Amino acid sequence: MNAISTAKKLPIPADALGLLAVPLAMLALWVLVTRAQWVPEQLLVSPTKVIEAVGELWEAGELQGHLQNSLRRLFLGFFSGAIFGLIFGVLMGLSKSMEDYCAPLFNAFRQIPSIAFIPMLILIFGIDETFKIIIVAKAAFFPVALGGYDSVRGIPKNYFEVAKVYQCPLWPLIKQVVIPATVPQILTGLRLSLSRSWMVLVAAELMAADSGIGQMMEWGRQMFRMDIVVVGVFITGLIGFALDYGFKWLESRMARWKMG
Amino acid sequence: MGLVFLKRLKGLVLPLVLLMVWEIASRQGRAYALTFIPIEKIGRSLIETILSGELLTNLLASLGTASTGLLIGGTVGLGLGSLMGLYPRVDKIIGPVFHSFRQVPLLGWIPLIGLWFGNGCLAKTLVVCLASFYPMVLNSYAGIRNVENNHLEVGRVLGASRWQTYRYILIPGALPFIFIGIYHALAFSWISTVGSELLFTAGPGLGGMMQTAQMAAKMDIVIICVASIGITGLLMNVSLAKLSSHLLRWRATR
Repeated sequence: MNAISTAKKLPIPADALGLLAVPLAMLALWVLVTRAQWVPEQLLVSPTKVIEAVGELWEAGELQGHLQNSLRRLFLGFFSGAIFGLIFGVLMGLSKSMEDYCAPLFNAFRQIPSIAFIPMLILIFGIDETFKIIIVAKAAFFPVALGGYDSVRGIPKNYFEVAKVYQCPLWPLIKQVVIPATVPQILTGLRLSLSRSWMVLVAAELMAADSGIGQMMEWGRQMFRMDIVVVGVFITGLIGFALDYGFKWLESRMARWKMG
Repeated sequence: MGLVFLKRLKGLVLPLVLLMVWEIASRQGRAYALTFIPIEKIGRSLIETILSGELLTNLLASLGTASTGLLIGGTVGLGLGSLMGLYPRVDKIIGPVFHSFRQVPLLGWIPLIGLWFGNGCLAKTLVVCLASFYPMVLNSYAGIRNVENNHLEVGRVLGASRWQTYRYILIPGALPFIFIGIYHALAFSWISTVGSELLFTAGPGLGGMMQTAQMAAKMDIVIICVASIGITGLLMNVSLAKLSSHLLRWRATR
């Protein structure tokens, strides 16, 4: 219900001008400070320089290349991690013995931040694509698995008892009872997974990569090219925002589908 | 009793199988022995790093960074979030900027912070500050906004002073949310400490220790670091959960 009302409200708010006032003022201040050279250019690069850097990177085809590589890693890692996480979480929620066997190990690994696994994975897989996709998959796996597990466990016991009385086989049980009851929480888990995956990917690319937005920023830092670093910060923010917003939109659509 | 014991036993099966696979893999020749370090060797390195004080020094350094960042970032976040919750005008001015800055993944700021502040202690602490700042702003804002209007009205009717309104209505009402904020801030501050230490390798800390070990291809040290990071994080969560349930015990539990 709530999701529907937000879905209608999502387009531009009424007082967009008021919302834009402060960012615009900040932009003006940025231009002023760099124009008047109150701050040395090594410390604060001017907005025009940043825009020039975007043009330069775009024309050389570098920006597209980095973007393509980062997004490919993100989606390969996210989808594999999320699918495994979903299957694992739902099974663990459905089967008591699966829970007994797997939950302790699952909970132990859940405590370790994904970033901490980066050096270990570099030692095992080297610094190629494999390690980046695995670290993104690891970051995506846990929130989805947890969401699936919690939501399945949240289904009232009587549903299963009724299914048992009618001797409902496993697949229809999953399709008609489990999926409708768990979709909202799983979607939230997926959204969380996606933003975590993005953060971990940027970190992994900062540490060890030959391409990608993170590597572009790291290169910019080493070459003292602040304009390129700022471009990178903008783009990571933009992608993070687009992923989150897109997923929220999807969630509201799914909620509407469920109501219908 | 027996059932609980059996359940515990089942939980141990998978970790033991994994350890066995690891141990077998470590005996498959030299190429494997570099990545799959024999368990016995990990144990020996663990004792070594504990006895030499290396593990403790680095752990304490990381905890220092995490708590400094948490304290500064959390306090500033609490202040800003409460202001935004109390005064709609502040919310309108700062809100959009705050939410747009929040979109950049935390570790994405690291190259820029590195350019501005070098790669030492200051830069690391700043990243951790930022990590604990965001959840505190969001949750203290939500906390203040969720204080029940009836309570505020009762206060007004009874002629509560401004200070009394804060002390007896707003702060207790927002406290549960603020604790959720601290909970998230604690988790993020620990993650970002490790992340910033990995990316700014200068100085002591578990992340730096792990990075050095990775460069030297010392898998045993890397594993010890990963385990210490996980255990420390777990201990922090558990103790905060205990503390918050103790402090919020006045709240009617559902």
